[in-house]
Amino acid sequence: MKKLILARRFSQVFFLSLFIYILWSTGRTASLFKIDPLIAILTSISERVIIPGIIFSIAMLPLTFIFGRFFCGWVCPMGSIIDGLGIKAKNRPLNLSRIKYYIFGFIVVLAFFEIQIAWVFDPLVITARFISLNFIPSFTLAMDRAFIFLIKLLNFYAPLYDFYRGLKSSVLGVKIYYFPHSVVTMGFFLVICAFLFITKRFWCRVLCPLGAMYAIIAKFSILRRRVDECGRCMKCKINCRMSAINEDMSYKKEECVLCMDCIYDCPVRGTGFGWPVKAAKEQGKAAISRRDFLFLIASSFLLSGFKNKGASGAGKKLIRPPGVLSEREFLNKCVRCGNCMRVCPTNGLQPVIFESGFSGIWAPHLVPEIGYCEYNCNSCGNVCPTAAIPKFSLARKKEQKLGLAYIDKDICLPWSQNKECIVCEEHCPVSTKAIKTYEEIIGGKKIKKPYVDASLCVGCGICQNKCPTRPERAIKISP
Amino acid sequence: MKGSVFERLPNKKISRKGFVKLCGIGMASLALDNALLKFAFGRDDVSTGRVVKRIKGLHDLVAADGIDPYAITVKAVEAMGGMGRFVKKNSVVLIKPNIGWDRSPEQAGNTNPYVVGALVDMCFKAGAKRVNIFDNTCNDSKRCYENSGIEKIAKEKGANVYFVDDWNVVKAKFSYKSPMEGWPIYRDALECDTFINVPVLKHHGLTGLTLSMKNLMGICSGNRGLIHFDIGAKLAHLTDFIKPDLTVIDAYRVLKRNGPTGGDLADVFDMKTIIAGTDPVLCDAYAAKLMDKDPLSISGISQGVKYNIGSADIAKADVLIINA
Repeated sequence: MKKLILARRFSQVFFLSLFIYILWSTGRTASLFKIDPLIAILTSISERVIIPGIIFSIAMLPLTFIFGRFFCGWVCPMGSIIDGLGIKAKNRPLNLSRIKYYIFGFIVVLAFFEIQIAWVFDPLVITARFISLNFIPSFTLAMDRAFIFLIKLLNFYAPLYDFYRGLKSSVLGVKIYYFPHSVVTMGFFLVICAFLFITKRFWCRVLCPLGAMYAIIAKFSILRRRVDECGRCMKCKINCRMSAINEDMSYKKEECVLCMDCIYDCPVRGTGFGWPVKAAKEQGKAAISRRDFLFLIASSFLLSGFKNKGASGAGKKLIRPPGVLSEREFLNKCVRCGNCMRVCPTNGLQPVIFESGFSGIWAPHLVPEIGYCEYNCNSCGNVCPTAAIPKFSLARKKEQKLGLAYIDKDICLPWSQNKECIVCEEHCPVSTKAIKTYEEIIGGKKIKKPYVDASLCVGCGICQNKCPTRPERAIKISP
Repeated sequence: MKGSVFERLPNKKISRKGFVKLCGIGMASLALDNALLKFAFGRDDVSTGRVVKRIKGLHDLVAADGIDPYAITVKAVEAMGGMGRFVKKNSVVLIKPNIGWDRSPEQAGNTNPYVVGALVDMCFKAGAKRVNIFDNTCNDSKRCYENSGIEKIAKEKGANVYFVDDWNVVKAKFSYKSPMEGWPIYRDALECDTFINVPVLKHHGLTGLTLSMKNLMGICSGNRGLIHFDIGAKLAHLTDFIKPDLTVIDAYRVLKRNGPTGGDLADVFDMKTIIAGTDPVLCDAYAAKLMDKDPLSISGISQGVKYNIGSADIAKADVLIINA
């Protein structure tokens, strides 16, 4: 019985399921990133603010000091997926583990220069993005289509149809989400999984900056591996998925993720984990050399010159979520986790690809033709882990202007064809109607022609969403 | 690469016959697949509308005033002859309230939930097998269903409250020339034994008031904004297509300005009236009168009269007014 491995696997499955569950049940997503110190601390540093809930992520640090990189081996959803997919993958020794410290150091240095790029390589963010933008939409779509097929095949058999309707209002969701650009996030995730062709846990060994952050603390962790008896068969060294075990049976504590494999790989059961009886002298090289560190600082200085080149001015093209005022601050705080896009009830929040420059990739923007900003909803601000979208009360959110509607009189049916329409006025959620109408009598018929009252319009985009003209809408939101 | 997919591929050459055979099998399976998919997804159903015998009530129209919306709804329907007159034993009833907006009951954007609740109770008491409730909402449907309070009350009383499926529609076919020809209509709106239309009386920018005929837009799928052009005739034809058995207009709380969305409580006043009737045009005309509007100035009503779907002549109608 490999009890410890079973326990580890159970923990991995549990936390991965929890992770998916939290993302699936919209509304509770905020709690998710609170345990991610990389995101919380670095965003706090780069934005010079204390992110709400940062205490949870700081609490992870003393835990790591006691147990080592338990997070990577037992909790991290990305690690669990990589382990799951990589059961059959080959394990090769690699000597590249220093790279992740460079990545981590680079991120930290940039954070002090008010540039926050922790999200690019943070494993929780990458997994959340993949689950929210790819996994859940495709899974629900497949379920939905399967049910429709079955229902039609059974000629609308009532119990099955009722079951489907029940699912729709509970698990499946009323709306099947759709993200036109999500293939990019999918690709990013697949590349990380494809590293399994090189070796097991390539990502965790070589690239993960969160892993690096934990590794620096884990180097001094209290729990440690001991070898009581050794036949020098090297099985543990060969099988170690983090290649943390050295030739002389000492081990790189900062690399060990406590997967517990080595305990059961050992034919004489001569190894285990435990608390130190007496203080042992630290082994191993420094994670990063002094020369490399200086090089890192210097290169980061150079890079900070490019700070937010893409964002300046370019942001004017996009409609940002409600409450976002400064484009620069928004792009810096946003960790691109996709939570807001997951909870947006109309599916209107979509990831940006390159419309706002390279630095704006994957940040959310509103696409009114897919979905508008629901007037009575402040979910996106509630779930944003870094308050890039401010958390506003409903009353305050309703005052936020996302943009301004304007009417293209060449397309608008009442203006161009004297047809009755004013669907925009009908849907306008502002209680005194931001869209007003002129009345004109044409051919004995009263035609109401809409115009926008700029002082009332909140730019929610429902008018553009519901405007019946095709292919182009006659009313559009400009940011 | 050792052990790669390419290495495991059979290294056999294919004969000409084999190749032709392979192509044939491929094409056949594609065709079969296509036919199967077409059978499952591509069925284009057409309907010529509900076929019903119009059941007359004891009066042409009943208007009940009172403080409790539940009680006056019951009173109004009982004065019409009771729900048993319209709902047969073991039948399927569709109640179509207005759940179009993400608004609370106080804001009067949607039908009063207690009015819907009263109708559900009466239907089950009359022996209905199943009561369906749905609406094609304008705002996000989940939020509308929850915040209107209708989902909760109707589900407690045993009704089936569900969201519309855009794949489950039939195309409308008219015996006369109609601008609504071919419009997708949700199947359940047609496949029911009794259709009860429960609109809320409120202001509307385009039509002046939104009433029972306008409420039928909630059973339409497709790009509904286009219905707004020539809306009177379209609503009249739609009403003729559905032929609602019973119309219950909720004029308990009335939104007098900035409709149909509203949102400001200052725009809402209490009229505390429920109107019940079998003639949708007459009900609409009476409701318009309550709002001091000329019924014929509302395009749906005037077109309804023109196409002979109902009468707007309140003076000639047998109207019973109850004060509770």
